Amino acid sequence: MRALKAFLLGALAVGALAYALLTTLALTAQAGGHTIDVTVGPLVFVSVGEERDAIVTTFGPGVVVLALVGGLANLAAARLVRHRAAGRVDPVD
Amino acid sequence: MIAARDRLSLAPGVTVEHGRLADAVRGDSWPLNASGAFVLARMADPVGLIVRDLADVFSLSQEAARADVLRFAWALNALALVNVESGVPRSRRLVDWIRLAARLAPAGALPAAAARRRAIDTRTVRRAFGSCLAAISTRASLVAGGATAVAAQLSLLAGAAGLVVPLTLGLGTGVGLGLHEAAHAASLRGVPSALVTRGRRTYVLHAPVSPSRRSIVALAGPLAAMGVGIVLVVAGAIVVAPVLAIAGCPLVAHALALTVVGGDGRVACGL
Repeated sequence: MRALKAFLLGALAVGALAYALLTTLALTAQAGGHTIDVTVGPLVFVSVGEERDAIVTTFGPGVVVLALVGGLANLAAARLVRHRAAGRVDPVD
Repeated sequence: MIAARDRLSLAPGVTVEHGRLADAVRGDSWPLNASGAFVLARMADPVGLIVRDLADVFSLSQEAARADVLRFAWALNALALVNVESGVPRSRRLVDWIRLAARLAPAGALPAAAARRRAIDTRTVRRAFGSCLAAISTRASLVAGGATAVAAQLSLLAGAAGLVVPLTLGLGTGVGLGLHEAAHAASLRGVPSALVTRGRRTYVLHAPVSPSRRSIVALAGPLAAMGVGIVLVVAGAIVVAPVLAIAGCPLVAHALALTVVGGDGRVACGL
């Protein structure tokens, strides 16, 4: 359960941040009338292209892959922190 | 830093009762020895005067009395039990801080930052949210100003003109901080709590709660800021307004607090 929580929170955090940054990048490009392709090899993150007379923004599976990687990284980090955690601290948030 | 002219004051929710220092937020109390009670009974006086009185009454040297009082004051301040009230304007404090920082620079250290605890009214969700926002407004404004300045500098270096983007990023950063902590406070309805700022850190100190509620409290802050940020980004995408999306990015960045990189994420993951 704890591992699942760490994975889901990491995936949510990285996925949300990646989506926000890529959307902002795409919007800025779209507003400036530019076309962009953010890709890593065959993995497409976002693409802003022209189709007929319109500018179209398309999100690829890269965002989902990034979220999964974020979830796995958070899971690994949580395991590392658990080994080092010790002592009682004040409840603060 | 604590100067001779500074005064100490009990933080909101902290009282001295029957020779014990009691904290309503932690629901705990600690016994005071004679010199500790002596110092806390004279908190209306500047620290320098308390040192002199302590040296006279307890037959100590000035150096020993000063070390005792400062160690005690720092220990209580570190636990957010005592606030340090400066009797001089902020500009003068800034100059003093810069001077001390210059003296400490060869040692690679900075002057220690004093903690400040502010009251939060958690009787209702609305009061908790509002009182926390009011308590954090000064810090949020400073953070917004700093973020705007940094963004403006980077914007200039990148050759971009205009202040819209730096101002939007700064505003988003300040609002994000306020919203994050206010959401923590709102989720603590009915639980004695206080807002504490120490150096760069800002957090809500609260009475012990059940593990499940603690997880909810920890998640509330980052999720609230992230949620508002996502709404702004989506709204920006719908009306094709990059400025809205840019304003949402600093808020969405609070999502990183959900990971074990942040204290909230570690609490939520039960670490």
